[in-house]
Amino acid sequence: MKKVKRKTLLITSILIMSTFWGFIVIEKGTNLFKGLDLIIFILIVLGGVVAFVSALKKDKEEKQGMPADDEFSLFLKYKSGYYAYMASLYMWLFIFLFKGYFPDVETMLGGGILLSALISFISKYIVKWQFNEK
Amino acid sequence: MKNRIKELRARDNLTQLDLALKVEVRRETIVFLEKGKYNPSLKLAYDIAQHFNLKIEEVFSFEDE
Repeated sequence: MKKVKRKTLLITSILIMSTFWGFIVIEKGTNLFKGLDLIIFILIVLGGVVAFVSALKKDKEEKQGMPADDEFSLFLKYKSGYYAYMASLYMWLFIFLFKGYFPDVETMLGGGILLSALISFISKYIVKWQFNEK
Repeated sequence: MKNRIKELRARDNLTQLDLALKVEVRRETIVFLEKGKYNPSLKLAYDIAQHFNLKIEEVFSFEDE
């Protein structure tokens, strides 16, 4: 049941993202592939690819009989989540302090959201890499 | 906390994945346990000890630093 749920969720998210990106490409045309838009586009696509590969890996592991989560992975998630949350709070504080440097509000908010995602990603890897209860 | 998981696993010819599947955890949990970087919950310690037909204190031991 859990495997079916994961696959359905994966297919649904790909369909939603494709539709969403379809509209953006139609709306923006070739302008999407220039300057800041291009960087944002690449970051989102990279994020999507990483999420997709990790979902496929988890699916494969579940087929082997390995649980999706256990006490250690949950502990890592909670700990890295806490650090990511704290770091994001400070990041938003600095973004609002230096809001004058951003060309518009959309860039400021979009950049902040992308940075939050990047912070969670980095936090997860730092917590795992430095994890030591010795 | 020290443990004998690696030694016991080698004795029984088990891979990290085999042990992970037997005690229903992810393989990386076994990796971190063997390196001594993670202290398991009482339940996981009990499950591992039970899998090797040993008592918890025969698998895990505390050492004062």
